[in-house]
Amino acid sequence: MPAWSDFEPFIVSGLALGGVYALSGVGLIVLYRATGVLYLAFGAVGAMGALITWSLIQAGTPGWVSWLVCVAFGAAVTLGYGVIFGPALARRDPLVKAVATIGLTLILYGVADLLWTTSGGQARSISFPTDNSGFSVGQVQVDWTQVIALAAGVAITVATGAFLRYTKLGTAMRAMANDRDITATLGVPVRKVEAAAWLGCGVLAGIAGLLLADLVALDATTLTFLVISSLAAVLIARLRSITVTFIAAIVIGVLHDLLTPITSLTNYRDMTPFVLAAIALLVLSRRGVMSRSREEA
Amino acid sequence: MIEVAGLTVRYGGVTSLDDMSLTFEQGTCGLIGPNGAGKTTFFNVLSGFVRPAAGTVRAFGVDLLSMAHFRRARWGVRRTFQTEQAIEELSVFDNVALVHEHSKLGSATRRQDVLDAIAFTGIDASPEAKVRTLGAGQRRLVEVARAVVGRPRLVLLDEPAAGLPDEETRHLAEVIRQIPEHTGALAILVDHDMSLVSACCETTAVLDFGRLIASGPTAGVLRNDDVIRAYLGVA
Amino acid sequence: MLDTAGPAASRTGQRSPLRRPGRASVIRGAVVTALLLFTLFGLPALLSLYYIDTMTQVAIYSMVTLGLGLLVGRVGLVSLGQAAVLAIGAWAAARLLFATTQPYPLVLLEAGLITMAAGILIGLPALRLRGLYLALITLMLAGAITVVLTTVNFPNGGHGFLGYNGSLVNIPPIRRPSIASSDPAYFRYSVVVAALMFLLVFVHIRTRPGRAWAAIRQSEPAALAAGINTWFYKLWAFALASFITGVAGGVLAGSVHYLYSIDFPTQDSILLLAVVLMGGVYSLWGAIIAALLYQFLPALLNNWGVSADWLTIIFGLGVLQVLTTAPAGLADQVPRDLARLGRLLRGRFRRPAPSAGEPQ
Repeated sequence: MPAWSDFEPFIVSGLALGGVYALSGVGLIVLYRATGVLYLAFGAVGAMGALITWSLIQAGTPGWVSWLVCVAFGAAVTLGYGVIFGPALARRDPLVKAVATIGLTLILYGVADLLWTTSGGQARSISFPTDNSGFSVGQVQVDWTQVIALAAGVAITVATGAFLRYTKLGTAMRAMANDRDITATLGVPVRKVEAAAWLGCGVLAGIAGLLLADLVALDATTLTFLVISSLAAVLIARLRSITVTFIAAIVIGVLHDLLTPITSLTNYRDMTPFVLAAIALLVLSRRGVMSRSREEA
Repeated sequence: MIEVAGLTVRYGGVTSLDDMSLTFEQGTCGLIGPNGAGKTTFFNVLSGFVRPAAGTVRAFGVDLLSMAHFRRARWGVRRTFQTEQAIEELSVFDNVALVHEHSKLGSATRRQDVLDAIAFTGIDASPEAKVRTLGAGQRRLVEVARAVVGRPRLVLLDEPAAGLPDEETRHLAEVIRQIPEHTGALAILVDHDMSLVSACCETTAVLDFGRLIASGPTAGVLRNDDVIRAYLGVA
Repeated sequence: MLDTAGPAASRTGQRSPLRRPGRASVIRGAVVTALLLFTLFGLPALLSLYYIDTMTQVAIYSMVTLGLGLLVGRVGLVSLGQAAVLAIGAWAAARLLFATTQPYPLVLLEAGLITMAAGILIGLPALRLRGLYLALITLMLAGAITVVLTTVNFPNGGHGFLGYNGSLVNIPPIRRPSIASSDPAYFRYSVVVAALMFLLVFVHIRTRPGRAWAAIRQSEPAALAAGINTWFYKLWAFALASFITGVAGGVLAGSVHYLYSIDFPTQDSILLLAVVLMGGVYSLWGAIIAALLYQFLPALLNNWGVSADWLTIIFGLGVLQVLTTAPAGLADQVPRDLARLGRLLRGRFRRPAPSAGEPQ
């Protein structure tokens, strides 16, 4: 068993990773609640946005402009998909809606890999100016990017919570999660509310893509399928609570990184999100939360 | 013969059935009541889709609630659904045979039973025809045939005539009326259509807000003041 | 439950209510037999070694897509973890092939049964969930299995339970059956195994389980009300699909000789679902189309020097198209489009009366 001081740096990196998972998870939940779509293309959108940013930086574009382009790309693609395919699939099962976003995932992944070839291509990376400056807590070096990642997770969770609770648009989204048809008859502009959710989710996808590109790796495959890990937090929250999502995301991030210095478990650390999500799903199903539909029979 | 005692069902904070007690002896019995009175919930309890908070159900002396849901159909609890549920991609024959496949009878007997049930309901299509090629009325009959094939004991019909034209409703009423005599089962008919209920049922019970408010011979029940009040909402 | 059906479903079914089963099935049987004989004896002579290897992979993956198509199309269960199930089968077969001298068919059977046991272990808890949650838990479990496989690696002739030789020198290849050591012979062998698996599924869907699955897919309450033990039949479907996929893993082990865990990434499970949906889940032909999409097209593009990324993009478009407009996939769409094309051409040449309007 390694000494406690060996774990300390991993708590910091785990918190940063958890922050990004939380931010992603909140984006996924808001969209799911408002539209019934579990947006599996979240990672792919972020990946491609980050790759575009990389190209722009290579071409000499100022950093902040290229970061904004990444976020704008995420928002545009996500909103575009929502506007085009949202209505066509609105009345279908959530499973069909989710699988359809796999279609978008594959398209984006294919394009990204075509334009920024991974195999045999050069290694790419995005770095923020905040990577190299930081401070130390005891023995542990903390850089500002890690702080930003965790802070973004916290801020997005709090802001989204407040937004859903106190604004008109947020209330409309919560109402739509309960019953789309009834909400529509109450005079809520369903299409507009959905568009807002798509847009918000897309913005978060862009931000998550940038942060993960810095913290983890800038690689289409990794970033596209990292969404599966964020999904774990969302599943633990039963696709409902953003608070639970946040906590689960932080726990997953920290636990994952804490396993790194333990020799016997380090190879298995990538299982953390999957195992936690699987356990949560099974415990919940035992309580019958999701296994029985309540409608007629 | 079915005896229900103290049946209570709660969903979250809503009480769908409130201490309901009821006995049906034989024949085709009606169960009526306004929307949300708990009629379908009652059927769902009998089918095993809903677990009641309290109460007992004995059918022909057997404790129904202790039986696994899929076994109830094999034992003889059969039903049709509010939204018709004939299996689209199977043939008429297979739809009806589905419920009979688990019986211990020989295959020739089972085949004959299935054909009898199809003939009994008067389905106007080849037994080999796929259900998705049939019209709404025929599909309803397929569902009814599935409910009466073999040895049913309780046949639960949940608004079987909903959305059917008069002509087909009359035919269906005739079929429903004959179920007890033809199969020996007790049939329970839930419907909004009072003319259908009075045409088919000797006995009728009325539910309102999950409670039984009247029961007895159909003609008398339909004249009962409480029933009229529950339906028309006048004080 | 995946209602790939959606609004367009009833339209697809309005064919031939008066089909005479006798004659049609004789014709169909003859066509299938002829195709199978051609595949076994004609095809290897026509193809280069490159394409024979490719078609071996098509045969293997047609079993995987068969299992997944069975789950999605017949029962309405969506699994996002089939690549992991395939990996389990391949691992079990490789381990048995190194450890024993059992005949190959026996190893395939055992690999299938081991994978089936694993599938049941996964299915027992997972099948308490439905729809989206079931799909996601299979994805999570597949992710976990992939991580484990990456760590324990595939057997390569080493010692111990895992059979992994870490030194990476003198690694023996996974053996093939003695009657099928050459590539064309192994291709035939794979086709025969695949044909047996298709037969197994065909028998299932024509008998009691198939009827039960049809009922479950349409409505679980209705199935229960018809006396069907839905839990049991869903688990049966899961077990059957796992068995077939496990056998496919066994055939895969012999075909490639060396197995590496990076060959079974989690995203392959997602891609498999995509091609299965495109191929068509309501027909057994769909499984073959899906396998061609998954293995043959990439090989073709590779041969032409076109990036496989184009294919990924096409798969993505295909998924969206299938889910929005053509739920029955290519297996249904191609014949109908051909028929429409035929009508159109006939119309062009014969110049029919203006009233004979073309549908759509």
